[in-house]
Amino acid sequence: MSGKRRDFLKNIVRGGALAGIAGICAALGMRKNKYQCNGQCGDCKPDSSAECPMGGDGYVWQIDPEKCTQCGRCATHCVLAISAVKCVHSYSMCGYCDLCGGYQRSDAKGRTTGAENQLCPTAAIRRKFIEDPYYQYTIDEDLCVGCGLCVKGCEMFGNGSLYLQVKHDLCVNCNECAIAAACPSGAFRRVPASDPYLLKGGSANA
Amino acid sequence: MTSIQKNWIWFLAILLLIVGSGIYLVNSRRTELGKSFSYSMEEYRKVDPALIKYEEVDSVSPDVGKLSALAITPDGQLIVGGEKGITGFPGVGTVSCLAVDEEGAIFAGMNDHVEVFPKVGKKIIWPVPGPKAYLTSIAVDDEFVFVADAGSRCIWRYGRDGGEPLKLEGDPMFYVPSPYFDLDIGTDGSLWVVNPGPHALENYRVDGSLISSWKNASYSIEGFSGCCNPSHFALMPDGAFVTAEKGLVRVKIHNLDGSLRCVVAAPDQFDDRVTGLDVAVDDAGRIYVLDPSRNQVRVFEEKKQ
Repeated sequence: MSGKRRDFLKNIVRGGALAGIAGICAALGMRKNKYQCNGQCGDCKPDSSAECPMGGDGYVWQIDPEKCTQCGRCATHCVLAISAVKCVHSYSMCGYCDLCGGYQRSDAKGRTTGAENQLCPTAAIRRKFIEDPYYQYTIDEDLCVGCGLCVKGCEMFGNGSLYLQVKHDLCVNCNECAIAAACPSGAFRRVPASDPYLLKGGSANA
Repeated sequence: MTSIQKNWIWFLAILLLIVGSGIYLVNSRRTELGKSFSYSMEEYRKVDPALIKYEEVDSVSPDVGKLSALAITPDGQLIVGGEKGITGFPGVGTVSCLAVDEEGAIFAGMNDHVEVFPKVGKKIIWPVPGPKAYLTSIAVDDEFVFVADAGSRCIWRYGRDGGEPLKLEGDPMFYVPSPYFDLDIGTDGSLWVVNPGPHALENYRVDGSLISSWKNASYSIEGFSGCCNPSHFALMPDGAFVTAEKGLVRVKIHNLDGSLRCVVAAPDQFDDRVTGLDVAVDDAGRIYVLDPSRNQVRVFEEKKQ
């Protein structure tokens, strides 16, 4: 009797595990297939009569930089393991300052590129000397988690050239964006997929 | 309970565990960012009360719309400019900077040109060369009128009657990342200029050659932080500097060598992130601070012992 029960349980565990894995994969796949859109196919452009092949409504999520308060929820609420929200940089607005509020900690021991001086916890901002006293700052998107810490420093002391945007090569464009639902300032909104970024300072962005 | 029933209970329990784990894995996310992701300037907003040697004694709200510039006349009167003109000269347009000469003539920077309002007679317009002109400060003495142009990153030196200005480009140059670029004339006739990129105050002869400078880039109370600070300054009767900053909003007095003398107003006396705190000083040492967020000119006097 106990041998039959053991066999029965074994079969159930195997079958259940397979069913569970298949269900999770199907759910993830369905969501990705259903909502992923980065506006690159062009079918949503005003001069196109074609319907969206992804079944989308021709709109994607984006952050209005003027409303963003850098609360940090972009880093914690995205359904992706590492958020699709990244910091971008408007070179045309940047002051290229040596003492950069977006790059350096307020209690930095020096103005070198040492980790102890950097404000970004993931070291996602790269600094390059141009000419005294100018430095160029670029974002390493692979390291950026979209926390907005640098944006806060730049807004407070600089020209606001660092800001957050949803990157559409990463975003899966969920129908109910988890970050939008959690955003305390209403900075998330739907924008046409044919014009998916809300850029500061024209197009001169990283 | 039969063994079939027990088997089914086991089956449902395991299925529930698998489905629950799947849902948790799909929906689990970081709830909070760690300590290293916190940003606070509170430490720098606190100022030792013993350093604050001034107190606010008055405030005025001139009717010129949104306030943008101020100056003190030789007889101690306050002149304020805004989007609707200048006190006494309404409707002349948006003023970006102001100065008054010994005779009471008003020199107004109007973003991209200068307008002179003599005590008697008609307004005179001085054009500013270059397509990028953005005037942020103006100062006048017996011989010259100096105009700071943040757009062209230079100072234009006019004669008292205008004419073709001489371009002063700094030594080695003025680093102006944003539209905050202030100047004033010292009691010895030399020119003091904020070089905002390196957080320096530089002293020039009227021909543009450098005499001396001091700088202190720091978030602490002794220095200037961020981009383009001090955003504004004025000279005290004894030659000390009254400085106003953005970012960490505070007004301080620095001695001639740059060392901190005292604090006039601490960050908690201003609204967060206010910019454009133009400052002026009268002969009695009273300090006038233009506060754009309250649309007031706030008057500070040294505390009596």
